[in-house]
Amino acid sequence: MSLKSYSRARAVHVMLVYTGGCNGCDIEIVNCILSPKYDAEQYKVFLTWNPREADVLVVTGPVTRRNEEPLRKMYEAIPEPKVVVAAGACALMGGVYKNIHGDIPSEEIMGPVENIIPVDAKVPGCAVRPEDILSGVVAALPKLLNAK
Amino acid sequence: MDEDNQKTNEKVDRKVIETEISMGPVHPAALEPYRVRLFVEDEIIKDAEITVGVNHRGVERIMEGLPVEKANSLTEKICGICSNSHIWNSCMVAEKALNIEVPERAQYIRIIMEELERMHSHMLYLAHGCEVLGHETLSMRMFYIRETVMELLRMIGGNRVQYGAPIIGGVRPRCELDEMRIQKLKEGMDTVEEKMTEFADRFVSDPMIMSRITGIGTLSQKDAIKLGTSGPTLRATGVEKDLRRDMTVYDPFEFDVITQDDGDVKSNLLVRVFEILESVKIIRQAVAGLPEGKITNRSWEMQDAPITKSYIEVPRGTLYHSYALQDGRVRHSVIRTPSITNIGAMQYACIGQHVTDAQLSIVQCDPCFTCTDRAVKIIRLDK
Ligand code: SF4
Repeated sequence: MSLKSYSRARAVHVMLVYTGGCNGCDIEIVNCILSPKYDAEQYKVFLTWNPREADVLVVTGPVTRRNEEPLRKMYEAIPEPKVVVAAGACALMGGVYKNIHGDIPSEEIMGPVENIIPVDAKVPGCAVRPEDILSGVVAALPKLLNAK
Repeated sequence: MDEDNQKTNEKVDRKVIETEISMGPVHPAALEPYRVRLFVEDEIIKDAEITVGVNHRGVERIMEGLPVEKANSLTEKICGICSNSHIWNSCMVAEKALNIEVPERAQYIRIIMEELERMHSHMLYLAHGCEVLGHETLSMRMFYIRETVMELLRMIGGNRVQYGAPIIGGVRPRCELDEMRIQKLKEGMDTVEEKMTEFADRFVSDPMIMSRITGIGTLSQKDAIKLGTSGPTLRATGVEKDLRRDMTVYDPFEFDVITQDDGDVKSNLLVRVFEILESVKIIRQAVAGLPEGKITNRSWEMQDAPITKSYIEVPRGTLYHSYALQDGRVRHSVIRTPSITNIGAMQYACIGQHVTDAQLSIVQCDPCFTCTDRAVKIIRLDK
């Protein structure tokens, strides 16, 4: 194991980006990492707000029109290797905002996230539960850790 | 012309203001996407401008033409922090328009949900505030206390965030309170009260924290009234105004309206701490005096109704919903959330502060930009 991958395995930095959902998912993710009850930090998973430090990008929300560009830029700013986790019904399929009219999707919503950046793991739920987020991040980790 | 009343851009043109610091819409220091422009002179903020609109999803537009039950559950998705307030107010509009009598037991359960929500929203505010202060231990402590409330909400509603208790004419059968749940609620309230008191003691007796938050981000009472601020942000400046006092559903309950005098970060934090304790009081009364009977009134008929309005007090201030009914569908829906006026308070609180205190001054007004993005641009096709 190289020094780089050794150190990467011991400090996984998660960045949360928020693209216009209802705040429910975001707070559950912050809760899941900071709150002592779930405490992802004990598994060496940390929350960061800086894309250049991040390894895992967690995206919530249906990607509104004005958020599309920043999301792409943020994805590009993260150094390789990187994984993307889409969390919540909004990020997975546009949620209520996109699909409520059936065949005529709302024009304000550019999502789901898959249309804009590649997604490695998906976490369902509205809002996602902290346990599910942990398992989603864990499911995405092999790609990150096995990278050369 | 008075210098204060000129537009910021003109001031920049005339070089009244030297430097602009612009952040956003996505920035490491801001949790939610919004844009802040700070106009500084010698690191002192002379003017601030906050722009929202990044999160616009057009919920009112989606609501238009939906059956009223569906539209009500959509309002819940406006905000993940105060979801119960939105669906409650939206149901109240329909009940008012159709003259539906709500059973008393249902009103009590709705109030229990609302107060639980107020508690978890204020606790989130305190946790976020402590994190911005740089005190992560207290922030984690707050998240830990908040978990008690979240578990109670999950027990009653079945979901941790959007519990969807109210329906037109009552509450969902899932949210009925039986003996076991009442017992858990009572125990939860004891835990919260004990831990919140400890937290508050620890908080105010820490000289480092108190010196960091006293006198920072001051909003004067005159400005607060001028800007139309509502909720705890207004009460922190000494105005005794709580819409719960005017709501008939709150009549059977005894509680105090909490006010503080200074309008700075300290007052804002303390107002929220005491309001959590008041909520504990209301929930205890509601649980003790829970009336017997049905929880849903299903004997109502759909009619057409003109535009009906409803105002309630939610964790951040005054929430307004209105719509008209036509063939069982929602028309002309308008929603106005408290943060839209509190944005003005954030801008005023920044003025005169050091740049490093800008974030604290914004956070002290409890921003929730997700629910604030309401504007709809109407494009005329005939031109
Ligand atoms: S999935 Fe649900 S809780 Fe999450 S952002 Fe969307 S509406 Fe909110």
